[in-house]
Amino acid sequence: MKKGLSILLTASIIGSLSLVGCGSSASKASGYELALVTDIGTIDDKSFNQGAWEGVEKYGKEKGKTYKYYQPTAKTTAAYVDTINLAIEGGAKVVVCPGYLFEPAVFELQEKYPDIHFILLDGEPHNEDYSEYRTDANVCPILYQEDQAGFLAGYAAVKDGYTKLGFMGGMAVPAVIRYGYGFVQGAETAAAEMNISDLEMKYHYTGGFDATPEAQSMAASWYQSGTEVIFGCGGAVGNSVMSAAEGANAKVIGVDVDQSPESETVITSAMKQLSVSVYDVITKHYDGSFQGGTTTVMGATTNGVGLPMETSKFNAFTQADYDAVFAKLVSGEITTLTDKDAESAAALPVTHVTVDVIE
Amino acid sequence: MGHIIEMLDITKRFPGIIANDHVNLQVKTGEIHTLLGENGAGKSTLMSILFGLYQPDEGLIKIKGQEVQINGPLDANRLGIGMVHQHFKLVHNFTVLQNIILGMETVKGGFLEMEAAREKVMALSQRYGLKVDPDALISEITVGMQQRVEILKMLYRDNDILIFDEPTAVLTPQEIDELMSIMKALAKEGKSIIFITHKLDEIKAVADRCTVLRRGKFIGVVDVASTSKEMLSEMMVGHKVNLTVQKEPSQPKEDLLKVEHLCVTSKREGHIKNTVNDVSFSVRGGEIVCIAGIDGNGQTELIQAITGLTKPKSGNIFLKGQDVTKQSIRYKNTHGLSHIPEDRHLHGLVLDYTLGENLVLQEYFMPPYQKKGFLNQKAILEHANALIQKFDIRSGQGAVTTARSMSGGNQQKAIIAREISKNPDVLIAVQPTRGLDVGAISFIHEQLVKERDNGRGILLVSLELEEVMNLSDRILVMYEGEIVAQLNPKETSINELGLYMAGSKRGNDLSNA
Amino acid sequence: MILTGALTHGAKGIGQIFYYATPIMMTGLSVGFAFKTGLFNIGASGQFIVGAFASVYIGITMSALGQVHWLVAVLGSLIAGGLWALLPGILKAYANVNEVISCIMMNYIGMYAVNSLVKENPILFDQAKNQSYSVAQSAVLPKLGLDQLFAGSSINSGFLIAILAVIIIHILLNKTVFGFELKAVGLNHEASKYAGVNEKRNIVLSMVIAGALAGLGGGLLYLAGSGKHIEVLEVLADEGFTGMSVALLGLSNPIGILVAALFIAYITEGGFYLQLFDFAPEIIDIIIAVIIYFSALSLLFQHLITRITTRKIIKDNSKEEITS
Repeated sequence: MKKGLSILLTASIIGSLSLVGCGSSASKASGYELALVTDIGTIDDKSFNQGAWEGVEKYGKEKGKTYKYYQPTAKTTAAYVDTINLAIEGGAKVVVCPGYLFEPAVFELQEKYPDIHFILLDGEPHNEDYSEYRTDANVCPILYQEDQAGFLAGYAAVKDGYTKLGFMGGMAVPAVIRYGYGFVQGAETAAAEMNISDLEMKYHYTGGFDATPEAQSMAASWYQSGTEVIFGCGGAVGNSVMSAAEGANAKVIGVDVDQSPESETVITSAMKQLSVSVYDVITKHYDGSFQGGTTTVMGATTNGVGLPMETSKFNAFTQADYDAVFAKLVSGEITTLTDKDAESAAALPVTHVTVDVIE
Repeated sequence: MGHIIEMLDITKRFPGIIANDHVNLQVKTGEIHTLLGENGAGKSTLMSILFGLYQPDEGLIKIKGQEVQINGPLDANRLGIGMVHQHFKLVHNFTVLQNIILGMETVKGGFLEMEAAREKVMALSQRYGLKVDPDALISEITVGMQQRVEILKMLYRDNDILIFDEPTAVLTPQEIDELMSIMKALAKEGKSIIFITHKLDEIKAVADRCTVLRRGKFIGVVDVASTSKEMLSEMMVGHKVNLTVQKEPSQPKEDLLKVEHLCVTSKREGHIKNTVNDVSFSVRGGEIVCIAGIDGNGQTELIQAITGLTKPKSGNIFLKGQDVTKQSIRYKNTHGLSHIPEDRHLHGLVLDYTLGENLVLQEYFMPPYQKKGFLNQKAILEHANALIQKFDIRSGQGAVTTARSMSGGNQQKAIIAREISKNPDVLIAVQPTRGLDVGAISFIHEQLVKERDNGRGILLVSLELEEVMNLSDRILVMYEGEIVAQLNPKETSINELGLYMAGSKRGNDLSNA
Repeated sequence: MILTGALTHGAKGIGQIFYYATPIMMTGLSVGFAFKTGLFNIGASGQFIVGAFASVYIGITMSALGQVHWLVAVLGSLIAGGLWALLPGILKAYANVNEVISCIMMNYIGMYAVNSLVKENPILFDQAKNQSYSVAQSAVLPKLGLDQLFAGSSINSGFLIAILAVIIIHILLNKTVFGFELKAVGLNHEASKYAGVNEKRNIVLSMVIAGALAGLGGGLLYLAGSGKHIEVLEVLADEGFTGMSVALLGLSNPIGILVAALFIAYITEGGFYLQLFDFAPEIIDIIIAVIIYFSALSLLFQHLITRITTRKIIKDNSKEEITS
C-alpha cells in the first residue's frame, strides 16, 4: 500500500507536469522596473494595495515603464522579504510596499539593496521588536496626516448642513484615532463658523477591522435615532456602515480611498492620496531627485490628503469652500490635534460639538 | 409439459474465475424445481443472469421456447419472472395492499384506484390460500405474513415463474409447512417455481426435480422422489457428508455460567419494553445448552447482556461462581468467557484488519502479543499460522489477508478459532452456522462438540431447528423475552419445539433450568 | 516552472518548501490521524490557532525561561491544541454529539477567543498593527544550522519536529497496542466494543492527540521566527483546511501525509517563483488549485480502480475457495 502510494504520488506529479507544460513555455520577461508587493490582499482591495497600484500603473502607462505586482505566499515578514527579493530578481528598480506590515521587511532589506528604491506607505522601517528604527537613503517612508483628512470630511459635512454626525472607527490604532480627532475638529471649526452650538457627534471604535453584524446594527440604531451621516473609518467596518445606511436611506463618509463607487450612500471620502504620492515618488526616482532617508509626512501641504470633490455628493458645500479650507490647512492657519494630544475624543477642546463617546 | 425456462450452456466468467461453467437449467411448466449448491457454487450468479443483472458470456436463455435477451429486472418482470428475496423488500409503514401495488399503481385521473387493486389482491389471496389482511401494516405482521406479501406481489404482477431465494431461513417450522403447501398450490395452478435452498428436507418435501451445482459446474438434474438425501448432499459437496452430529451423551459438571432473574429493557418506538424478562438458567461444564426461539424473541438482548455489550436492568450473571454483572467486557473476555457473536461483520471482525490481527482481537494487549506497548508481529503471526493450520482457515494470503476478502465460512472459522483458542470456560455461540454451507456447518458442529467434551460449558443460540435438535443436550425455548420451556432433545420432536417457539404451548417445570 | 521553480533558487527554495510544509503537515497529520481512528477532525483550524496562541503567549511572556523557553512554548501549543479537542472528544464519546458539528463550533470559539485574548492583553497586542507582538528571541525555534544549509530560507527545527511527529504517529498507529485499538475503533467500533476495547476513552484520546498535533502545527509556525503574528481578524486559520487536502492527498497515511505536505508546499513555492513570468498572481493560484485538484482526483480514481479490481478478484477468489 505504501509503495503504491508513492507510485501514485509520483504519477500524479508527472501527470501535472504535462498539465502545466504550456505554462513553462512563457518566456521570462526582461524585467519589470516598477514593482508593487501586495500585503496578503489583492490589488482590488479598495484600500492600500489598490491605491498604490493605481499610482504605479498610471506612471508605468504614461511613461512606458514596465510594471508588475507580486503576491507573497503568506502574511509573514519572511514571506514579504522573499517577495521583495523576487521582485528585485524580476528586475525591479523601485519597490512599492503598501502598508505598515512591510516595516520589518524593508528594514531588513534596505541595506542589502542600496541601489533599489523602496517606497513604504504608512510606515517606517524598524526591526521586529521595535527596538531599532532606521531609514536608509534608498527608502522613502510615507506617513499621512489622517487628522487633516478627517478634518476636511468633518468640516465639509457640517458645512453641507448635517448636524447629527457619527464616527465609527475600527480598532483604536493611531491612524484611526487621528482620523476621528480630525473629524471632530473639522465639525467644530465649521460649527463655530456657522454659529451652530447643538451639533451632536456619536463616537465609537468597533475594536476590529471586519464587517460585523454588531457594527451594522449599531450604525442602524444610530441612524434610527437621528444620526444623518456616519464616518465609517476602519477597513470593512465602512461596509457595515454602508449596509446600515442603505437600509436607513442615510449617508456615509468613506475613508482612505474614494469609496463612492462602493455605495450610493457615500457622500465623500477622507482620502489619503496614495496613488498621487506613489506617482510622485516614482517620478522623483526617474528624474534623480529621490529623497530617501527620512520619513515624508504627506498632508495638505504636499497634497497628500483630501476629499474627492468630483465624486462627492454635496448640496451646499462647494469647490470654492473646499479650496478655502484646504488653503487654511496648507498655510497652517488651521492646525489639528492628533492622537498624541488627547487621551480620548471626549477630551478634545471643543465647544460647539457634543461628543458622545460610546464604549 | 414443455420447458418454461431453458438456460442452456450458460457460462459466466469474472476475472480469474468461472462462476458458471456451461450450466444448464431447464424448468418445466408447473413444477417445483430446486437449485441446490453450496455457497459460491454459482446459484446466485445463475439467478442474476436470469434476472438480467448479468449478461452470460456464452449460452442462451429461452423462456416459453422463445430465445430472449434479458437486460434487467424490468425485462425479467415483463417475461413473467418474479423473485422473493431473502431480505424482503417492503415498505414498513405501508399497508399490505399499498406494498403490493407499489410500482404498479392503477391510476385514474391522477388518483389511485385502490378498489380494483384490492379486489384483485383479495381474489389472489383467496385462490392460493394466503390469508393476508390487505389493510394491515407491514410492521405489524409476522415475518411469515410478510413473505406472503412478497408472494402476492409476484402474483399481482401476473408472474408465472417464481423464484424463492432461501425462503425458509426466517420461518418457524409451522410457517415452513404452510409455505410448502402454498408452493404446492401455486405449482398446481400452473406456476413454475425455482426454489433455492441447501436444506435437503425441504427439497424432499416439495420439489419435483433438483439441479445441483458445484464450483460453478453443472453436476446434474435429478428426480427428487427417487434420490436420497445422502445422495443429494454428496452431489452438492462432492464427497460423503455426515449429516447428523456424532456425539456421546453429555457428562455435565458444575455450573460455569449462571444467570439469575435477568431483565433487559429496550426503547422501541418510544415505549420501553422488557425484551428479556426475568430469565434464569445455568450452563454446566460439559454440556451444550441451546436457546431456541424465533428470531426477535429476546435472544440477542439476552446474550448481549450476558457478554456486556448492553447493560441489564436487573438480575445477576455469575461466571464460575463469581458475580460479573457489573464487570467490563474485557474482564469477562479475559476471565473465561468466549463469545461467537451473532453478526460476524458487525461484532466479530474488524474487516479491514488482517486475519492475523483479527485472531488476536481480544488478546493483543497481553503478552506475548504485546511487548512494552508495542505489538509483537512475530508472535501474532505465529499464533495466526497455528490457528490457520488447526482450524483449516482458508484465505488468499494466509495471516496477512484482510478479513474482508475472506469468504463467510472462513471468516466464521476464524472467529471460532479465536474464541476457542482462548481456552474459555464458557463459550457462547450465537447462530454460529448462519449462512454457511453443509461442509462448514459440520466442521463447526464438530468443534463445538469437541469443546463440550473438553469440559467447557457451551451456550448455543440458534434459529435452525435441525441444529438445535442435533447439537444440544438441553433446550431452553425463548418466547417474548421469557424462557417458556426446558426440553430434552431426545424426548421432544421438532413439531413440539415449534409449538413452544410460537408461544402456543408453555412448559411447567422450569425450576432447574 | 511551477514544478521546477522551487528548485531554481537552490538550497533556499528547498528550505522554503520544508518551512511551508511544516504547519500543513501537522494539520494534515491531525486530520489523517483522526480519520484513521474513525473521526472527522474538521476542527484542526481551531486547534491550530489555539496552539498558536499558547505558544505566542508563552513566547512573549515567559522569556525568563531562557534555554528551554522555546521548548516550553512548543509544549504549550501541543497541550492547548489537545485541550481544545478534548471537548468535542468527550461530547462524541459520552453524548454521541457528532464531532463535525462540535468541531466547527470549536473552530469559531477558538478563533474569537484567541482574537479577544490577544486584543485584551496589552502585553501581547501590537495595537498599531492589529496583531500580536513577535515572540522573544529565546522562544524562536532553534535553527540548528539548517539556515546555513538552506541559506536564505525560513527553515528551522520545526520541520524536524514535524518529521518526528510523523514518525511517532506512524509507529503509534502501526506498531503499538494503543494504535491497534485506536484503528480498530475507527474501523469497526462495535467489534472493538465486543473485543473489550474501551471505545469511549479511545475516542477522547484520539481526538486529543489529533488536537495536539494541530496545536503543535500552530506552535511550529508562529515560533518559526519568520515574522508570523496572530492577527485579530475574523478568519479561521487556513492551515486547518489545507490540512484536510493534505490528509486526503496522503490517504490519511502518516508517510503519505508527509509526502503530500511537501508536494503542496513544493507547488506553492513553485507558484511563487512563477511570478517572475508574465502571470498574474491570481492565475498562479488557479494553476496551483488545479494541480492539487487533479492530483487528488487522480488519486481518487486510482484508489477506486484498485478497489474495484481487488474486490472483484476477492469475490472470485472466495467463490473459488468455497467450492474447492
